Amino acid sequence: MKRSSLWVGLAAAGALALTLSGCTGGAPARSGSGDGKTVSYMIGQPDTPAQLKALRSELAYFTKQSGVKVDLQVLPSNDNLRTLVQTRLRSGNGPDLFAYDTGPGFAGVLAKAGLLYDLTSHANAAKWPLFAWTKPSVTFGGKFYGIPDQIEEVGLYYNKDLFTRLKLPAPTTMADLEAAAAGLKKAGKIAFASGDKEAWEGGHLLSMAVAGEVGPQPMSDLIQGRGDWDSAGVKNALRTWATFQREGYLPPSPNGISYDNSNALFYSGKAGMDPTGTWLAQDLKDSATFDVGFVPFPAPSGPAVPTTGLGSGTFMNSGSKHVTAALKLLDFLVSEHHGEWELSQFSIPAFPVDLSKVSLTPLFQQVVTDTAAYAKSGSGTGQNIDVAETDVFNKAMWDGMQGVLGGQRTPDEVAQSLQAAAEKH
Amino acid sequence: MATLRSTSPRVTRRAQARLGVLLVAPLMVLTIIFFVFPLLSSLYYSVISYDGVSADPPFVGLANFVQLFTDAEVWHALGNNLIWIVIGTISPLVIGLVFALLLWTVKRGSRYYRLALFFPYVMPGIAIGIVWGWIYDPINGWLNVALRAVGLGALTTGWLGNPSTALFAVLATAIWATCGFVMLIFLSALQNVDMELIDAARLDRANAVQRVQHVILPQIMPVFLMVTTVTLVGGFSVFDIVFIMTGGGPANASDVLGTYAFTNAFQLNQISYGTVIALLITALSIPCAVALNRLQRRLSLEGMG
Repeated sequence: MKRSSLWVGLAAAGALALTLSGCTGGAPARSGSGDGKTVSYMIGQPDTPAQLKALRSELAYFTKQSGVKVDLQVLPSNDNLRTLVQTRLRSGNGPDLFAYDTGPGFAGVLAKAGLLYDLTSHANAAKWPLFAWTKPSVTFGGKFYGIPDQIEEVGLYYNKDLFTRLKLPAPTTMADLEAAAAGLKKAGKIAFASGDKEAWEGGHLLSMAVAGEVGPQPMSDLIQGRGDWDSAGVKNALRTWATFQREGYLPPSPNGISYDNSNALFYSGKAGMDPTGTWLAQDLKDSATFDVGFVPFPAPSGPAVPTTGLGSGTFMNSGSKHVTAALKLLDFLVSEHHGEWELSQFSIPAFPVDLSKVSLTPLFQQVVTDTAAYAKSGSGTGQNIDVAETDVFNKAMWDGMQGVLGGQRTPDEVAQSLQAAAEKH
Repeated sequence: MATLRSTSPRVTRRAQARLGVLLVAPLMVLTIIFFVFPLLSSLYYSVISYDGVSADPPFVGLANFVQLFTDAEVWHALGNNLIWIVIGTISPLVIGLVFALLLWTVKRGSRYYRLALFFPYVMPGIAIGIVWGWIYDPINGWLNVALRAVGLGALTTGWLGNPSTALFAVLATAIWATCGFVMLIFLSALQNVDMELIDAARLDRANAVQRVQHVILPQIMPVFLMVTTVTLVGGFSVFDIVFIMTGGGPANASDVLGTYAFTNAFQLNQISYGTVIALLITALSIPCAVALNRLQRRLSLEGMG
């Protein structure tokens, strides 16, 4: 009797544990269209409190217009967004809408697992005005799953005042870039404010160099798995940065300098050029006390190839219980009003916006105009690799660039490891 | 063969048994929920290939374990863990003991010294990582600025960006943050040291080192071993400060098993492989903890404590 009581107790405890374990897994709950008036929307933490406040205000405007309330769920760290979204979607407790990385290695994995709502018919019916080149990043298996967002371009910011004072040419060709770097070094300045402590910065450096080396279509082929990363073009791109490091154009120990600190080198005038993305335009407005120019990273020969990418996308939970309300919010996210709001926040939407209605800084105006021109020209652009590739490839790329900048690995070795990583998927 | 039988009435024995089960039940439930179930869950994940989203992950048997033993990065990370364990265990013990012995005899201002030395331990790891990241900055960091100022510019480097120094730079930060805790534990243990034995040793002309070695240390040995266990096991499971300061970089140079497990599980979506690495950490740290615990018990029985 005594023993049986003990075993009954243990069995009850075990059953409780198993019941609790049910909260951590299982298939996502499915539900059809609902008529709820509140939609949950999960995003990562914006860069500043002011940006979050502006977003809340924008969503309040949407609520006023549509009658749909938005339960904005802001994660304290962007690093956890993917993990948390995956876990919540799998547990059937996911948000109706959420920000997530685009591309087959990220949102594509969720789509494959049946966790994303198929937006194909709605997007066609609503005629979302998205740039054509952005659509493949949210299209998987022929179905359309999300709204691409935050168009970015990575390139070179340069201190125009400093360049004028030192009589250096604007870095629009590789010869001019090398001459400018040498001139800056001679003047006791750091040529490139390149830090790679967080490792992802190296992916941007490689992206812009590869774009110039191989051109838009071959770069697209590389990312789509139709090209060879262990090829002359990629090796030359890696060698470009290895050479710049060897020549002393980069800060000492770039792997020990954080992204923020590297930008601070540029803001303070200690560095003449800052190879990074258009997202820095807002900070430059507040922090740079000199005139700033922005150009695509030059190609070794011929015109420069701009390098673009998408920062993120908005996707819908396939198990959403508030389909109608969620679709209304998605429609709003591709509206002219929201596009203008995005530009006011120094973010470039993936659809055309009438720039005459928005007040922009000259630098950001140039960036937005250039980006729109690239989208219309049809000649294609290079791609920011890390937002289009898989995690496995990105890890190999980030480690490889740190190895090149730290002198631990040769460009040839890194090119081989990139190809090996690409072949894993 | 004689058997012992309780003389209590049957009803009383049954009531006692019920009470026993009732008292043990909460702990059992907690143990099952927070230890047994996660452990079983980990074992389950270790034999499947789970990417974090698949509804039906395939069974792969021991493939993850095979990968573990053939993955060069695991051995590299384990090597870094061993460096961390050796230096990260010995240094705080020695420095903490020295500080404790010095403060033991200080009468005036002792509490301020204690506060100053213990303060790093209560600081959040993220703050420590960020502040020391600034100190180690290659261009504007205080360390390099100080080295240049005293004519040792040749020694400057990008402490966290140089693969040869990254792990040791993080380790130095961890030691700085831990010494205060070790010191405080030793200081409290020293309050129980028999002063008559120390006076007797003095009369026998034992010098300071001999007094520490033969009189003080034996008396605080259980505490010494407890602190050793905590810091040593912490060396296996170290994660936060490495993750904050270098993320395991540059190019994996400062990766330890904890950061490598995290990278695999949550950055590369290889949850199962990350789980296997975490199981390796557990498998390595438990025997060490048990061995030190047994040593502590044996020394206590031998009267060293």
